[in-house]
Amino acid sequence: MATSGNKNMNAKLVLLGDVGAGKSSLVLRFVKGQFIEFQESTIGAAFFSQTVAVNDATVKFEIWDTAGQERYHSLAPMYYRGAAAAIIVYDITNQASFDRAKKWVQELQAQGNPNMVMALAGNKADLIDARKVAAEVIPLGTKLKYSSSNQDMSKIVVQDRKPEAQTYAEENGLFFMETSAKTALNVNDVFSEIAKRLPRLQPAQNPSGMVLMDRPAQTPATASCCS
Amino acid sequence: MYGIQSRKDLAFEYHPQIQILRPSIHARRANITVKFQDLYGFTVEGNVDDVNVLNEVREKVREQGRVWWALEASKGANWYLQTQATSTLKTSLKLSALVNGITLKKLIRKGIPPVLRPKVWFSLSGAAKKKSTVPESYYQDLTMAVEDRVTPATKQIDHDLPRTFPGHPWLDTPEGHAALRRVLVAYSFRDSDVGYCQGLNYVAALLLLVMKTEEDAFWMLSVLLENVLVSDCYTNNLSGCHVEQRVFKDLLTKKCPRLAAHLDSLEFDVSLVCTEWFLCLFSKSVPSETTLRVWDVLFYEGAKVLFHVALAIFKMNEEELLIAHHIGDVISIIQRSTHHLFDPDELLTVAFDKVGFMTTTTISKQRKKQEPAVMAELDQRSRRLNSVNPDEKR
Ligand SMILES: Nc1nc2c(ncn2[C@@H]2O[C@H](COP(=O)(O)OP(=O)(O)OP(=O)(O)O)[C@@H](O)[C@H]2O)c(=O)[nH]1
Ligand SMILES: [Mg+2]
Repeated sequence: MATSGNKNMNAKLVLLGDVGAGKSSLVLRFVKGQFIEFQESTIGAAFFSQTVAVNDATVKFEIWDTAGQERYHSLAPMYYRGAAAAIIVYDITNQASFDRAKKWVQELQAQGNPNMVMALAGNKADLIDARKVAAEVIPLGTKLKYSSSNQDMSKIVVQDRKPEAQTYAEENGLFFMETSAKTALNVNDVFSEIAKRLPRLQPAQNPSGMVLMDRPAQTPATASCCS
Repeated sequence: MYGIQSRKDLAFEYHPQIQILRPSIHARRANITVKFQDLYGFTVEGNVDDVNVLNEVREKVREQGRVWWALEASKGANWYLQTQATSTLKTSLKLSALVNGITLKKLIRKGIPPVLRPKVWFSLSGAAKKKSTVPESYYQDLTMAVEDRVTPATKQIDHDLPRTFPGHPWLDTPEGHAALRRVLVAYSFRDSDVGYCQGLNYVAALLLLVMKTEEDAFWMLSVLLENVLVSDCYTNNLSGCHVEQRVFKDLLTKKCPRLAAHLDSLEFDVSLVCTEWFLCLFSKSVPSETTLRVWDVLFYEGAKVLFHVALAIFKMNEEELLIAHHIGDVISIIQRSTHHLFDPDELLTVAFDKVGFMTTTTISKQRKKQEPAVMAELDQRSRRLNSVNPDEKR
């Protein structure tokens, strides 16, 4: 089915969100499997790359972890330009960071790539007692498993009463997860869900121009056998 | 027997032992990583070669110290202050001032000895002059007056204190946090347009380590933001920083046309890596002694130095960058190179001898040229965003 040339792709991914929402911590958890209590504040942006396997293909993420302070937002277009995916991060213990996240969504919708896969991550989900966003949601706990790679996505979000963020995400075409860089909850899942949703890995859809192929047009033989 | 642990121990008192290690092909092949503290207390990770380079650098620093002391002995303690000749001076004095000026510029590019840094920086940067225009108790009065005030700036500062060089043996202590807090908070009240901008925490922290006293660090920060760097580098939407980035791109095209074209073809915007250099003045990117050597020149020759150094980093890696075909590779080449810039002379030689001559006047002209485009771009963005969030306008 999928040709070998199409199996490995690169995708630019950008993390946006308020100061201290945990963008760098999420990336560090995803890329190195670590959590540091005091993470240096990001200036401009930091770059990382990490590969994930989806089905029988791999996606190499080129990750831009941006700075959160308001005045740095004027730099953001440089980082989200041409991105295939974005993770918009807020801190569940901080309502202002959720408001800020909504603004990022609007900005990306207005001027980003229309095929961009967007994820909304409610981070610091381990701080249940300090929760401010969607406080009425049934406490996270037994239903949620760490690194639930084969778990159905719909089970990850508590279903009885949808939290504010979940509703917002649905209305705006994002997928939503609560994460914790500290405990690793859902961190890998956000990235692999993005990888799955990237246009190129769904044969039914047209590949997005924003997804860069590792070895473009190098496999003429396989290309003809697929018709 | 000689496990990683014992190698680490060696690294601490590395001087004689590492000399023996150096020729060992095994040690190099193994590419052992050692961790140790540098002159300013930062933990550095490097291989055996890096340790050797640092040893050589220390030796050179000592040599430079001897040169400076000899000059003090022959010309008097504050000889370097007598470099700006005024027209009223007699010709012979003017001449000696000129000679001193040339000597000083050369000397500074070779590095100010760490013990003399506080004194030399303070006078040559203009901080001493700035301080002398206000009452003696200015800093103390200011810090006392604003101690208990809470503003968006102070909140952000508090948030960043433990996130500024975490793990540093002094900066990351209650005492270090308190000192850094006072400097940053005081400055945020001195210039409310700047308030507090992330990035200044790293700059102020390093200033504290060098200057030793909070008050001097505060004045250095003031002179840096108010006189040395381009204006509006840290305000509002960082417009000054945007200007510098555009000027830098033009310079790169001029000085390294092949490389600039190659990076262009990869759709690699150099600002992706340079923004942090210009905002943190390299303090987050290169080893501490190398950063401070850049600052030695920065405080004497001005902000054009940042362009020299940034160009040098690209120039030093030109060959390797030309064969990189992926943005990720470009970034890792640059990062690997900057993290290993343990030899300041290597960098500064390229920065000043290979990059070529640039005057502050031409840079200023370039800035003027870029300003309208930056303003238009920023303005366009904010208007677009306002039309997305119409309620924001009210
Ligand atoms: N309890 C908890 N703390 C977290 C989590 N993620 C991040 N933090 C903490 O939140 C603080 C900020 O995290 P960062 O990752 O630096 O935040 P950031 O979004 O990158 O911040 P900027 O770079 O300033 O924009 C750090 O002190 C982290 O330890 C989490 O999942 N749980
Ligand atoms: Mg960060």
